[in-house]
Amino acid sequence: MIPRHFQITIALVLLAILISGVVIIRMTHKEEALTLQAAEAAPVAPVVGGKQEHIQVLMAYDDDQALRWRPAEIFLPADRGLRARETLRYVLAQYLQTPSPHPLGKGSDIKDVYFISDDTMIVDTTAPFADGHPSGILLEELTLTSLIETLNANVPGIAKVKFLVDGKERETLAGHADLMSFYQTASVHELAKEFE
Amino acid sequence: MILALVVLCCALGVSGAGPEQQLTVYTSQTSYSLPVVDRSGKQYISVADLLSPLGSSQPTTKEKDWRISLNKMDLRLTEGKDKAVINKQTVDLGGKVLLENGRFMVPMDAVLPLLARLLNTTIDFHQPARRMFIGNPFTRFTPEYKNGDQPSLLLNFSQPVTRLEINHDEHRGALFTHSNKTTLAFRKDPLVSDLKTQQFSDGAIQSLAFSEENGAAVITVTGNKHLQITRSEDGKTITLQPQAPAAAAAPEPSPQSTLAAPESQRRGPEFFVMIDPSHGGNDKGATFGGKLVEKDITLRLARELRKELEERGIASRLLRDSDIDLSLERRAEIANEQHAGLYVALHAGRPGKGVRVYASFLTDPQQPSASRFMPWESAQAGALGRSQITARAVSDELRKKGLTVANLAMPVRPLNNLAGPAIAVELTPETDDPQSPENVKRQNTVAAAVAAAIAQVRIQLGGRP
Repeated sequence: MIPRHFQITIALVLLAILISGVVIIRMTHKEEALTLQAAEAAPVAPVVGGKQEHIQVLMAYDDDQALRWRPAEIFLPADRGLRARETLRYVLAQYLQTPSPHPLGKGSDIKDVYFISDDTMIVDTTAPFADGHPSGILLEELTLTSLIETLNANVPGIAKVKFLVDGKERETLAGHADLMSFYQTASVHELAKEFE
Repeated sequence: MILALVVLCCALGVSGAGPEQQLTVYTSQTSYSLPVVDRSGKQYISVADLLSPLGSSQPTTKEKDWRISLNKMDLRLTEGKDKAVINKQTVDLGGKVLLENGRFMVPMDAVLPLLARLLNTTIDFHQPARRMFIGNPFTRFTPEYKNGDQPSLLLNFSQPVTRLEINHDEHRGALFTHSNKTTLAFRKDPLVSDLKTQQFSDGAIQSLAFSEENGAAVITVTGNKHLQITRSEDGKTITLQPQAPAAAAAPEPSPQSTLAAPESQRRGPEFFVMIDPSHGGNDKGATFGGKLVEKDITLRLARELRKELEERGIASRLLRDSDIDLSLERRAEIANEQHAGLYVALHAGRPGKGVRVYASFLTDPQQPSASRFMPWESAQAGALGRSQITARAVSDELRKKGLTVANLAMPVRPLNNLAGPAIAVELTPETDDPQSPENVKRQNTVAAAVAAAIAQVRIQLGGRP
């Protein structure tokens, strides 16, 4: 006959093993999910042809509330749409680095860029670009001005630009900057001068 | 979003008194009028003008075919055909589709069957008067006559009335008695009434009649004196009473003089500032250190600004006075509907220190008008000069208070959707502590400076000295 206290001890040990097993399985699943989510949110490495070019990009610096031109060396295809996409992705990639002069939400990226007419471009961004963007008039306007003016400088012939978020129209970037309008690049060029 | 386009047809309300025939459509959100033209004995309207304010998609045209989507329904019209197709079902139009200057026109008889199919809601069409009510947007009124030495007639409305066209008409008879007819036309308000006529007395205010004509509701008050008309602050009561002797001695206004007066003069007595405490409800706006949120800062600042304006004798209204959700589009709609003399959006944000004052930046100033309505995305174009004057005045006053100020032009939503002068003021909190006295002090300083600047420029904005 096994003593009663020994039976209780064995039962408790078995219960502890069972609970530990469940916890370990759940933690494993959670870790897998997070890994998958991070992989989905991360920018997909672009398939880029073309030649390496020396270009200028307009970067936002929050601390100084300013925009400054910076040189960059990137591979750019000849196609205008791809060229625009790669240029914009380069700018966003700089903002996603740590430390960043103008931090953006993790997963901010350009999904697609396409022309609806010869001089009118649609820039489709990922959802985290807007969802994770810091809220504030100046912060949001610096982002848009930086992107549009960089396009203006490196992709010729774009007169108007409109931003979508995950394929859909959104009223503002993060509660302030207008995303419903088509931005005239010539007007934004004048706007950018206020911050340079 | 396109539904909000129509709120901006300011010119329309003024020009509506002319001989031009109009159809007025009322919904629970808005109202708008569109021109009616005669073609071969039939009344025609532009389908784009009818549907775009209701939220239709941009129409597409291919040769003689014209397509548009509304409420997940697809409408197709073909020039010369007397039938439309809605989701493969045929609708009789009662006349041929016309194409004029790139606009597809359908007979007035087709409006009801088309909208009934497209909207799937209750529609009440007063066709002889060309007034269409979608849903149940009705405003009603009750007259209240007060006898005495100075009789008066109060018209009490169930909803505030926003747009009023006034016409005084005097008739002198053979016995040198004269009767005055005062006509109040309500084009933007969905005014209906079961009351057709009512008699009051034989004196200054004798009778009232209600009628509907040419896209408007009309209340005609007849008496033997010229009547003075005032509207209550909340817009729900209109009072008519004989003019005081001093006022009566003044030169008589010519018929329709109210309509002919410049916009600034007509709006002068009603000048008020619409204060918009940005964000609210689920939309917290920017956060500072986790506890301090933009929506709370803006509401406190708005209340302080209202107090400062009141001390300077300037009327103001808050777009929200509690923690509620209110879309940017609706904020602009309300300010436009109420004809705010100035719209001030209040924000709080980083980076930097001090205050930033924004006037609008038109992202696409050359945006073409798809119809006779003012484009929603560039409605600010006509008021941009006055907005910039106000922004500069506010910046100057803030600098006088020793604050660091930046005066900028930015496409801040919804400034471009405002038909009148509009600015945004963004302050940066001193600390992240919601209870910080420094923050409160800065908000009070900003409110006082903004109010002082508005007091300076209010005459330029259409207010009284």
